Amino acid sequence: MYKMEQANSDEIDGLFTRLYLEAFPAVAAFVSKRGGSLERAKDVFQDALIIYYEQIYTVGAKVRISDKAYLLGIARNLWYGEVKESQFLSDLDGLDAEKLADKAEPEASEVKLLSFLEVAGQKCMEMLKAFYYDSLSLSKISERFGFSGKRSATVQKYKCLEKVREEVKQRKLEYADFSE
Amino acid sequence: MRTSLNEIQHIEKHLLGDLPKEESLLLQAKMALDPDLNEKVTLQAETYAVVRAYGRKKLRTEIDRVEKKLFETSKYAGFRHRILNLFR
Repeated sequence: MYKMEQANSDEIDGLFTRLYLEAFPAVAAFVSKRGGSLERAKDVFQDALIIYYEQIYTVGAKVRISDKAYLLGIARNLWYGEVKESQFLSDLDGLDAEKLADKAEPEASEVKLLSFLEVAGQKCMEMLKAFYYDSLSLSKISERFGFSGKRSATVQKYKCLEKVREEVKQRKLEYADFSE
Repeated sequence: MRTSLNEIQHIEKHLLGDLPKEESLLLQAKMALDPDLNEKVTLQAETYAVVRAYGRKKLRTEIDRVEKKLFETSKYAGFRHRILNLFR
């Protein structure tokens, strides 16, 4: 299976375009046969792509069947509700699974925090995403974000974690004040 | 690295299950005695959740863009007809 070494926007675009062309017709046929609409097929496929991405990139799972078969399998499970998204996504060892954003819709406070971080801490969020969500290697991250080496990338990662953690704390305090 | 960053690294290993069992137990004992440390660990776990939510949000934007391209540009008209025929 092809794995992106560097998940830049063009490559992501190329990956998802290929996956749509290869696998969406089968998923759409499956949903249509069971009386689902095109919109429903698109929703199921989007969720399946997110699970696919997180399994392969975040978790680093090895997939031994074709992308098409794998995506169709996820989509069937999503359709039948046999496998909840969270079951696919809960194996980030040790992280508090319930606390993770497994809910389909993030809470209002989470949405506010995210919008804030997108503006105020975008560089940090992009870097943390590259580390923890895209699981890029330290050397790729150094290259992309312009660090002198792995060590300085590591230090910067922890600085960003500290910064965002402080932000999470502040937002929680504000939210607690607000809801009293 | 400065002390606070070392502590963050240590908490990360604990949360990701990369600490030896004895060290994790020791950290848990410290957390029980030190509310500040306990709070830091909780907040850090939430921080990873925030990063994941951020990652998903960005990913969904990318997926939306690709979907739009496939369903709205003439280059992919053949693909689109094939799909629409399934829902006639």
